[in-house]
Amino acid sequence: MVEDEHDIQAFLQQALSEAGYTVDLAPDGKAAENLAKNNKYDILIVDLGLPDQDGITLITRLRQLGVVAPVLILSARRSVDDRVRGLEQGGDDYLTKPFALAELLARLRNLLKRNAPQGSELTRLRVQDLELDLLRREATRSGQTLQLTPQEFVLLEYLCRNAGRVVTRSMILDKVWGMRIQPDTNVVDVHIYRLRGKVDGTGQAPLIRTLRGVGYVLQDR
Amino acid sequence: MSSRTGRSPVRSAAWRISLWATLAFMCGTIVVFIFVDRFVANDIQRRTDAWLSGEVEVLGDVAERTPNDSLYNRVVGEVAELASREVPEKSTSPEFQNDSVFFIQTSRNGALKLWVGAGDGQSHLQAIQAHEIDSATPISINVRGYSTPFRVASEPMNDGGRVYLGLSERDQRRVILNLRVRFFVLWLSLVLLGFAIVFFTSRRTLSHVRNITEAASHIGESDLKMRVPISSRNDEISQLGHTLNRMLDRIENSVHQLHTITDSLAHDLRSPLTAIRGKLETSLSSRDVEQAEPIVSAIEELDRLTDFLNKSLDVAEAKADALRLNPTTIDLDGLLRSIIDLYEPSLNDRGIRIRLHSAAPVYIVADEGLIHRMIANLFDNELKHLPASCSVDVHLQELDGEARLTLRDNGPGFDPEVRGHLFTKSVKGKHSSGHGLGLAFVDAVVRAHAGTVRAENTDAGGACIILSLPLAVRESKRMQPTHAG
Repeated sequence: MVEDEHDIQAFLQQALSEAGYTVDLAPDGKAAENLAKNNKYDILIVDLGLPDQDGITLITRLRQLGVVAPVLILSARRSVDDRVRGLEQGGDDYLTKPFALAELLARLRNLLKRNAPQGSELTRLRVQDLELDLLRREATRSGQTLQLTPQEFVLLEYLCRNAGRVVTRSMILDKVWGMRIQPDTNVVDVHIYRLRGKVDGTGQAPLIRTLRGVGYVLQDR
Repeated sequence: MSSRTGRSPVRSAAWRISLWATLAFMCGTIVVFIFVDRFVANDIQRRTDAWLSGEVEVLGDVAERTPNDSLYNRVVGEVAELASREVPEKSTSPEFQNDSVFFIQTSRNGALKLWVGAGDGQSHLQAIQAHEIDSATPISINVRGYSTPFRVASEPMNDGGRVYLGLSERDQRRVILNLRVRFFVLWLSLVLLGFAIVFFTSRRTLSHVRNITEAASHIGESDLKMRVPISSRNDEISQLGHTLNRMLDRIENSVHQLHTITDSLAHDLRSPLTAIRGKLETSLSSRDVEQAEPIVSAIEELDRLTDFLNKSLDVAEAKADALRLNPTTIDLDGLLRSIIDLYEPSLNDRGIRIRLHSAAPVYIVADEGLIHRMIANLFDNELKHLPASCSVDVHLQELDGEARLTLRDNGPGFDPEVRGHLFTKSVKGKHSSGHGLGLAFVDAVVRAHAGTVRAENTDAGGACIILSLPLAVRESKRMQPTHAG
């Protein structure tokens, strides 16, 4: 992790360690280069505004040094630079500050998954007694078919794929509706309430849990 | 924007310039010619008169001195004949017959004594007698049977008679006519040539101006790094180009400055926000629900603050026409469908119905992120302000090369207090809950994409927002030649 702000370093290191990652910290580009030369990392988190050089320059240099690990770019800038977009197309990802920890973790998982050997594409998802048939676009809970709209199915599928992990509202907007927006109304919540109404029927243990201020979790146990 | 280049040359500035220049040239040369014409005519007249006066004196003298015998008529007649051969401005036609000069000698009682010239001289004599010439200064006399008048000078004789010498003005007039015809032909060709030269030079010059205009209109639409083309000559046009480019340098500089300021402002605010949010979130995971409540609402406040910060900076940049765009081709129809899909449950929960009227994909070239946020803003607005059991009609259509998006509801409409300045920053109705940036942001994004947005109350009282954005240019259109020459 290459980040110069001390406060951000601290909480990121704590959160990443709690999530099970081993983290090496570099406060600037020079230190990052030295670390990358001597160690092999699965993933890099790079802040764009470093004291000694530009984050993009650092990434380019690291790539020249033979570092192939995917990069998650953290940016406090307002607009997403064209060069960042270029990197994004190369398999890396970016996140603008401030971000939700859940989103950071989700993006890290995605980047790692992208680099991992691809398993055969799943056709069925199963979380507790909830089952999704991805080919027939059908969901059942305890054997009972749920009447879902196509959009609700996509939403539920996304929650199932991230079962047990927190997904934020902006992640849902990005992945389910394909929009990076921040509505100042509770549009996503309404979708979740409706979905919950269908998934968590009366007398059943609730599957979809709301973490206020953070997002939602589909509980996997 | 390239449509105006194909217009007819008759409506161009070059045409007008050439027309006026030619008109001025025509008038000027005509005035000069009238002076020259008058001068030449007077000069010819003067020379003719001088010749006439001189000759009539000589002839009078000859007639006086010649003895009055049988040879008299022949001697005087021959002298007169000889004199007539020296006529000024004589016609050079081969069938020269001397009807342009006559000589008359009258006796004391006015009877014809000697006649030299064509015909019998009676009509000449009658004309002369009708005028009673008595001085050597020549005057013009019309003779029956001749279309052009004669210039006649006379001299008294000692015997009481007179000698008259007349010269037809025909040759003199022919000279003038010749002059006029030649002038006219020359003048016409000069005028036409002048017109052509002025037209083509001004058209060439103005085509540089047009190129600059064309280029300048694209700058700012796309990016500020472009510059207008400069012609190699160091004339006014290239100076205009240089001036424009220097101006663009300054604009680019200030826009860059603005970006630097907003960026560093954003950076300086976001870094602590990130740290605070992160700390709050990590402390959240280790607490039970009771203690979590204040932390959660703090996080929510923080997110609202971040959103406000983003929008304010966007609006600030857009107000300075400095919004950074990353344009791609977007289908507004598809976008509206997925946004309505997103908002419909929330709207329905509040008892608001929404209908989309759009038949086909409508493509625009725009910054996807900004357009998403802008349209989400419009729907957030409806969701926040519309009372229950109202409905929203969303129309999307292509109109005059523009994508026209209309949001019409049957709610209470815009507050009359804020209607005039809906799109200005931090304006909101009395009962509004937002931070008042919504419509300012919409206006900012639309303006950055060279579009327009209007807000009005419908006749039925509802609010209506009409948004126009330029359509994406189709490939076939782009292939057409932009302009000729």
